Order: sequence, then C-alpha cells, then structure tokens
Amino acid sequence: MSMAQVCCDSAVAATAAPVVGAEAEARARARAERRSRAGESGAWKHAVAAGTADATRKRSLGAGELLVARKHGAASVAGRRREMEDAVSVRDAFCAEGTADGGRRDFYGVFDGHGCSHVAEACRDRMHELVAEELAATAADSSVSAAAAWTVAMERSFARMDAEVTSAGGRAAAARSSTCRCDAHRCDHVGSTAVVAVVEEHSVIVANCGDSRAVLCRGDGAPPLPLSSDHKPDRPDELERIESAGGRVIFWEGARVLGVLAMSRAVGDGYLKPYVSSVPEVTVTDRSDGDECLILGSDGLWDVVSNEAACEVARACLRRGRAKWCAEAAALLTKLALARRSSDNVSVVVIDLRRRNH
Amino acid sequence: MPYTAPRPSPQQHSRVLSGGGAKAASHGASCAAVPAEVARHHEHAARAGQCCSAVVQAIAAPVGAVWSVVRRFDRPQAYKHFIRSCRLVGGGDVAVGSVREVRVVSGLPATSSRERLEILDDERRVLSFRVVGGEHRLANYRSVTTVHEAGAGAGTGTVVVESYVVDVPHGNTADETRVFVDTIVRCNLQSLARTAERLA
Repeated sequence: MSMAQVCCDSAVAATAAPVVGAEAEARARARAERRSRAGESGAWKHAVAAGTADATRKRSLGAGELLVARKHGAASVAGRRREMEDAVSVRDAFCAEGTADGGRRDFYGVFDGHGCSHVAEACRDRMHELVAEELAATAADSSVSAAAAWTVAMERSFARMDAEVTSAGGRAAAARSSTCRCDAHRCDHVGSTAVVAVVEEHSVIVANCGDSRAVLCRGDGAPPLPLSSDHKPDRPDELERIESAGGRVIFWEGARVLGVLAMSRAVGDGYLKPYVSSVPEVTVTDRSDGDECLILGSDGLWDVVSNEAACEVARACLRRGRAKWCAEAAALLTKLALARRSSDNVSVVVIDLRRRNH
Repeated sequence: MPYTAPRPSPQQHSRVLSGGGAKAASHGASCAAVPAEVARHHEHAARAGQCCSAVVQAIAAPVGAVWSVVRRFDRPQAYKHFIRSCRLVGGGDVAVGSVREVRVVSGLPATSSRERLEILDDERRVLSFRVVGGEHRLANYRSVTTVHEAGAGAGTGTVVVESYVVDVPHGNTADETRVFVDTIVRCNLQSLARTAERLA
C-alpha cells in the first residue's frame, strides 16, 4: 500500500547497466552530461507519492548553452499514514540573479504538511519564486554581509509564504489542489514545515522552519554536519520564546504547543500564532572540496534514522559508482525509514556536492 | 520528562450564568447571558480527577444560520476543521442515541473519536454529545453547545456557548487539559463563525 516515487536528474541513466571503476565512472558521467546537454531526458522538478511529476526544461544561460544540473535524487512515500501531505521541490538555476562570480544557484525544498496538504503544496509551488524575488531585492543593497543578506531574504520569503497561505491567496492555492479537502476559505488549522537549501558554487544556504532537517555529508569519514536545528517545542530557547509570548508547552503525546502541535515553528497554523512562528533559522556554510552530498528530509526520516546512518547510506551508494547514486540513496533512505516503522510520510532529497573536477 | 501525578481536583462546577443572576465562582468557565432554561445544560458536576470549562463565541450571523450548522451531528466537519471525515455508525437518521465515528486530521495527538448524541433540541437550540471511544486521551468527555441571540431584538448577532467536562489524563494537570481542549474548541467556534457568516 505504500507508494514510492523516485526521480533523478537523468531518466536515461536509470536504465544504464551498472558501472564500476573510476575510468568507467568518468565515461558514464560524460555520457550522462552529453545526454543532459542534448536534452534527451527531462529532469523531474518535484515528486509526490500521487505520481505527479513536473518536467521542465532547464533554462539556457546564454545562446545555445545549457546549464548542467547538479545530480540529485528525491523520494517521497506516504508510508503508514494513508494521506500524503509532504511535498518536495527541486528548482535548478531558479534565480535569475547569479552569484557575484556568475555561478549558478539551485533550490531544493522539503515541506511536511499537517492538517491537510495544501500548505505544503503551496510552498512547493511558490517558495522558490519568493526566494528569487527577495534575493533580487536584497542584491540591490550592497551594504550588508552575504550571510546577513541571506537571512533577510529568507526571513522575508518565509513571511510572505506564510501570509499567502493564510490569506485570500491561500484560496487560490487550495483551489489548485486536487488532494485538498478544505473549503475555499481560510484554513487556520493547516500548516507545513519548510526546510529549504540553496546550493551555490562556494556555499550552501539552508533556511528551516519546523522539524524537517538538512544534513551535510562531508568526506574523509568526517561526522555529518547538521545545517538546521529541529524546532521542537521543548527545545530550551523555543520553550522560552513560546512562554514569553504567553503560550504553553504541554506534554500530550510528546511536547506540543498548547498540547496541540508537535513543532514550534511552521508555515501556516494561524490559530497557533504567535506561539508557532514562521521565522526560519538560516545557516550559510562554505563548501569544501571533500563534501559528498546534502540530505534534506522530513521528520518521517529523521525520527527513525540518525544523521550518521543517513550519511553512511548515501556514502555506500556513492561508492557503488553509479551515475544515479543520489536517486538510489534517496530511495534507500525512504525504504530504511519504512523498515524502521516510521509512522509518518517520508520525503528525502539527496544532492551531489562533489566538485565537477573530481 | 518528569511529571508528578496531579492531585485529585476538588469537586468543581462549571456554570454559565443566567441573565441577571448573581455571579458564582467557577473554574475556567466564562460568563455569558444565557436563557435560564438552557443554562442548566452548562452546569457540569466535575468529579475528582475531572475538569470543565466553557468557550463563548460571538457570531455576526442570524441565530438560525448558526444553528443549522451546529445541529448537523452527522456533518461536524462543516465547521470543525480538525475533523477529516465523519460517518454514522449503523447508518440511518440522526436521533438521540446515534453514534458517529470521527477521523481527525494529521498533526494532532488523536486519530479518531466515537461520539454519541445525547441532546438535540431544535426548539432551545441545544446539542450535546458524549465521547464513548476512539484513539485519543480525552476519556469521559461530554460537551454541550447552545446557540442564542446576542441581544434584544431580531437581526442582532448570535452567541454560541460550548462547555465540556472531561477526565484529566494521567500525567497532565487539570489546567493543561483545559488549555488543550479550549484551544481546539475555540478554533472550532472561530471556524463556525466564518462558516455561518459566509452562509448568511
């Protein structure tokens, strides 16, 4: 009864024979790149258990020159809950404003909805657009540091996303969704986590709101580096913020805001504001040559798989040397979460961070 | 995390005052002008280990429009948005004694609730149900909802009062239980206001 949907940056590569050895791997990679440049395979931009896929062509950087997508894989599965309320977004070269050195920016997001699916779906459809708009606005102001500029852009994007899902715009989002059961009016009781990553040539920027998570797998046996911190209501600083605002954290099948919601930050959930905030925590991390991959996942994954175990799974897939190792890692991680009896939807995105010259 | 067992509560009463009546001490109960003939429905004798409370909501819609939504025991999801679906057990028409099986949306500390209709009084606009099963921590929950004109004269708004009594779950205090249930009830009544105001 579980439906799993896997997408990867090269559908053709999925049918290729297994490749072993560094030289064969290099040849396979070159073939995959040529296929990608020729446009033989569309890349999936997001995937959900319902099986919908949105294939879009990559944007041309200049006349005739195509951007080559970073390798990534995404998998989402409803799991033991019958409804699928997660959404995943992958947007290559999503931002017209490049980095200072003309490099590319790719957007990845995992959104774990609760109450209904339409807030997570709105985030999947709109968050990257809002981030792109706020980056353009922030780029005009050169007086702030890069890290501060990212924080401003992300906080504004999340605030706008939150406003959209709780206002008239939310009706449009709800109306577009075939899985949404709500009436076409404000639904205060629906919300979503949002963990968003922007990958540049030299940095990884993560903005997180809720209890999904981003983890960086560094190479050479280094421990995994969390790029986000889960917003649980009993996290000491979150508990203090909630109580200062006049709220309560009550242990009711786990720590919950007012005994109701098991996370302290989310997009939406108007009825629990200001205790449940949509302000993201933003990290800017320099990339290093040894980095292997970035893993974004919903709590359906992280509740039953540690950061270390997730990186070991990804590393094992990497070492097999297949072109589609990210998709394999994402699929394997969802299977592992289900095998460990995760009781939630599971969504995973794995992004290849290895330098191209390796 | 460490939780001490709550001390048994002394017996509590929740009273919604009749218009003009003397104020009485109450645990968490709100005061509202409710006709005397239905105020008694909001008097819950809470035993040791139980708590009670009431939530009041003003609605800018005619009393008939509000009651037409509240009285649908078979379709609570019309305004209770934490309910994903509802079906009457055994089918048939709604009558006192009917039982509904309610499934709850994701994200809440509950999965389902089985509820029996105790009162459905169209003349006095009183609806009451008792929770008789399901997957949740609210044992022996009983709720009463009454719908009233807000003030003198027709065409004025409506006031809805929902009061309840429930066991305090093991590991929680009466105050925590009231915070949790009041949050859900308040959200439901605010949704009811929006729904009824749209109908009007």
